[in-house]
Amino acid sequence: MNTLILCVGLGLFCLVAELINIRKLLLPILLVGLGVLFVFTLTTWGTELPPSIWGFSMETMIRFDNFSIAFSALAIFITALVFMLAIDYYKTEENHITDYASILMFTLTGALVLFSYWNMAMLYLGIEIVSISMYIMAGSRKFDTRSNEAGFKYFLMGAFASGFLLMGIAMVYGATGSFVIEEIALYANGGNLSPLFITGLVLILIAFFFKVSAVPFHFWSPDVYEGSPALVTAFMSTLVKITMFGAFYRLLSLAFPGAISEVYTILFIVATLTMSLGNLIAITQVSFKRILAYSGISHAGYMLIAIMAIPVDSSAALFYYTISYAIAGVGIFAAAIPVFFFMNNEKVEAFNGLGKKNPALAFIITILMLSMAGIPPFAGFLAKYYVFSKAVEFNLYAITIIAIINSIIGVYYYFKVILAMYTQEPDGIEVKPTTLYWTVAIACALLVIVIGILPNTLMGLMS
Amino acid sequence: MTLIDNSSFIVAALAILVFPIIGFTINGLLAKSIKEPTSGWIATLSVGFSFLAAVYLFFGLPADSYFTVDLFQWIAFGETTISFGLMVDALTVTMLLVITGIGMLIHMYSISYMHGDEGFTRFFTYLNMFVFFMLVLVMGSNYLIMFIGWEGVGLCSYLLIGFWFKKSAYNDAAKKAFVMNRVGDLGYLLAIFLMLFYFGTLDYSGVMVAAQEYTAINGNTIVTAVAILLFVGAMGKSAQLPLSTWLPDAMAGPTPVSALIHAATMVTAGIYMVVRSNVIYALAPVAMDLVLVAGVLTCVYGAVIGLMQNDIKKVLAYSTVSQLGLMFAALGLGAFSSGMFHVVTHAFFKALLFLGAGSVIHALSNEQDMRFMGGLSKSLKTTYTTVLIGSLAIAGIFPFAGFFSKDEILAFAFEENLAVWIILSASAVLTAFYMFRLIYLTFSGEYRGDEETKKKIHESPALMTIPLWVLAGFSIVIGFIGMPEGLGFTHAFKNYLAAVTNPGTEILNLDPHAHSVALELILIGLAMGLAVAAILYARKKYVTDKQLPHKEGEKLPAFQHAVYNKFYLDELYDNTIVKPIRFFSDKAFVWFDKNVLDIMVSGSAQLTKAGGNSLRLLQNGNTGFYLFLMVSGTILLFIIRLLVK
Repeated sequence: MNTLILCVGLGLFCLVAELINIRKLLLPILLVGLGVLFVFTLTTWGTELPPSIWGFSMETMIRFDNFSIAFSALAIFITALVFMLAIDYYKTEENHITDYASILMFTLTGALVLFSYWNMAMLYLGIEIVSISMYIMAGSRKFDTRSNEAGFKYFLMGAFASGFLLMGIAMVYGATGSFVIEEIALYANGGNLSPLFITGLVLILIAFFFKVSAVPFHFWSPDVYEGSPALVTAFMSTLVKITMFGAFYRLLSLAFPGAISEVYTILFIVATLTMSLGNLIAITQVSFKRILAYSGISHAGYMLIAIMAIPVDSSAALFYYTISYAIAGVGIFAAAIPVFFFMNNEKVEAFNGLGKKNPALAFIITILMLSMAGIPPFAGFLAKYYVFSKAVEFNLYAITIIAIINSIIGVYYYFKVILAMYTQEPDGIEVKPTTLYWTVAIACALLVIVIGILPNTLMGLMS
Repeated sequence: MTLIDNSSFIVAALAILVFPIIGFTINGLLAKSIKEPTSGWIATLSVGFSFLAAVYLFFGLPADSYFTVDLFQWIAFGETTISFGLMVDALTVTMLLVITGIGMLIHMYSISYMHGDEGFTRFFTYLNMFVFFMLVLVMGSNYLIMFIGWEGVGLCSYLLIGFWFKKSAYNDAAKKAFVMNRVGDLGYLLAIFLMLFYFGTLDYSGVMVAAQEYTAINGNTIVTAVAILLFVGAMGKSAQLPLSTWLPDAMAGPTPVSALIHAATMVTAGIYMVVRSNVIYALAPVAMDLVLVAGVLTCVYGAVIGLMQNDIKKVLAYSTVSQLGLMFAALGLGAFSSGMFHVVTHAFFKALLFLGAGSVIHALSNEQDMRFMGGLSKSLKTTYTTVLIGSLAIAGIFPFAGFFSKDEILAFAFEENLAVWIILSASAVLTAFYMFRLIYLTFSGEYRGDEETKKKIHESPALMTIPLWVLAGFSIVIGFIGMPEGLGFTHAFKNYLAAVTNPGTEILNLDPHAHSVALELILIGLAMGLAVAAILYARKKYVTDKQLPHKEGEKLPAFQHAVYNKFYLDELYDNTIVKPIRFFSDKAFVWFDKNVLDIMVSGSAQLTKAGGNSLRLLQNGNTGFYLFLMVSGTILLFIIRLLVK
């Protein structure tokens, strides 16, 4: 509970910072704040204190368990990494940095809510906090029409999806008479489910499919990723995606464990489409951000497999997957944003000859790309391995085979970037990332290696 | 097998792995400041030190024992744990000696061969990286570590085939190798999953026990599936039919790469893997038959195509495909140690032949077409002599190395399956013929190239000829480690590997010495006689009658035409797989591009032009189209939910 309050406090502090004119110090202070938040979250590990504010119990609203603490810590960590990039990224736009920082902090707040909600109202609240913040951030380049377009398009479609979510929640309420997770679970486990309940569940699923950009609800993501400022794309493709998956998993595993078999076919079809289409289209893309968008879509497909395997408790597998995915994602952006900046080009061709111009940077990108592609010994390999073995444990053979075939197709487009770096001729423009970009990129590359080689500490925590 | 705990072995094993990394790191990090030839020597020495450590293990480690190095526990999932560990036994040591020994010679040769190349240091960085992954492949203690090496060598092979990346054909060759290997890797991965699921372990020793226990209770369906899937992996890596076509194309890489990766080491990884898994294969007769059939077909396929190739490296490439087929045929018959024996001898003489070919190409200013060679025996004496030794070895002439290993496989085939023996013997005859076709076309007669090149012809420098001589020496003597048992000799190599291969051989329960000394001698005589006849026929055709291969575009009889075009296997793949996929992805993508993405992309381009008018353009239905698709998707999901639960 205190984590949440502290997080809101940091967001408010950003707004005040504008008034008292300490913009220069803002980001360092925020990083310290996030560090405190991170440590603070970890200290609550294993203690399931009933949430309350000034003695006022919030037990039917929000609950903190190890699942939410683990995901919260991850989200805070990712946010801190993105803030480190933000310091240099927004150097030229000092006017708005306080606004952006506070919006990002509020996004994090929404994420924390989404990892720990115990009530459908809180779920909706969390999703809206995250989404509305992201609509603004997507359009934050006020004088760039592409950014405007991205923000507006995201907003229109996101609002549409929220409609599905509300309708679904309402129907579930109609069937169960409650917004509280455990009471819905009680109903769902009781058998003899009413059509109203299942319709509601499917509508909620569709809203989540939209939020995690699963096919055929993914149309927004390539456009929005491409149009948004690169740093926002980084935030969106990592933090927002893992947040939505955390919330998705929490919902299905806590509120609807008895009803998953009812929507199994839907999950199967959507997961298959998501993996396959994401991969196939990514192959032909030339824009780096679009490639990452489609790669994000296909990764959503793999993570959906973890959702399908909820009955055998795949939370650890999903957590590991989100970590490896988010860290590699942030790292790739940390390395790619300087390339975009110096080359003034966001296509794959911007990476031509990077292996000669800046071998260290190219090497880091290679590691992160290999991890994304799922090549051992990097974390991405084990992430897939854990998810697939959970699926096999639950006898989901068909989807596992589809996923394996897809993960092999996927290697192709990651290699496209690696190839561009090593086999194309450089054009003479130097790429010199600042220290902060280097720090984040190197840290991420090291992390995907370390957690790829020593996954047990993490996996042990969750089980 | 006895487990030995000896810290100096562990240090040696780690040293073997660490030295190439050191070389790789130095060359990789200091790429800009290190000058040629320093980087070449750094790379050569690092492999050389590994070689010394491997020699130490060879003399220190008794043949019937092994040791393990558990670096750390890598993956723990439920009850399954996979450790990141090394395991070294006689089989590993054999591979280590081949990889580091021949590897060192080829590194040394490359210092001179790559002289003046702008990617000199990059080349040695890749080469060291390759050696490292190859060592990981053979030293791992379980199938997952082997897979790391397996993927790693694939990556390096890919980088090195496309080393001269400015030629797009070379990049295509690299891509082809990559894709074909991925097909194989899929099989390997599925096998790993199956083993993990049914046997609960990936450790070689654990799988060996679990596979037998599981089969005793539940029959051998699963073991057969595992064996076949693993073999699919081997087909990719070792270029067996139908995944064979990448290897000849891989000759686009620099010649030392062809020698090291595509002849001596990486392509034999599949054979190493099958020998390592001999228990699994012994439990699955169907898989053994599959290995045998694929091996025999590949053996004859490669040999027949080799007859008509005019590119000197392509001849050697098809020869490699064919010889790999011969090794797999041996494995399919259950002669695990014979297959491995041929891996060792073949590594020496094929590396020698490739390096020799490299020396010829070097002398002729990069000419590779044998129709423009000839008469080089006078100017390239060393190259000629050593290549001749290599050719005698591969043709199976006593006492050269190939004689012993090939004869052993043929003798085995004679006992087990007469049809296989006939086909393999025929391939051996073809092998003798095309190798001497190569020798005569290249080295005897008159020089057929242009005058300008002729002036520049020179023998290669010592850095290149020393490795040739060393390899030639080994191509003569290495065969004596495997003297025929049928004649009452001791087969040192077989005994050395016995502890590794025995578990599989015992399950197969084959009786190896069914025939008499007289029959053995007749077989040997027959094989030698046929080889000599083939050589004499080649001599008559190319020396006495001075025939030349046909020119480009000349009309050929139907069968020769088919052979010349490699039985149209490439075209078959092109038409049945590549084109349909391309068609599909083109169409699917074009449709998607036109109908979904393009509207948005061009929409945003127009937006930029239209400046502040964005709102108006946003309402032109694009987003509406997305929403329409989302709603359609929703309705579709509901309908599906109604029809199937």
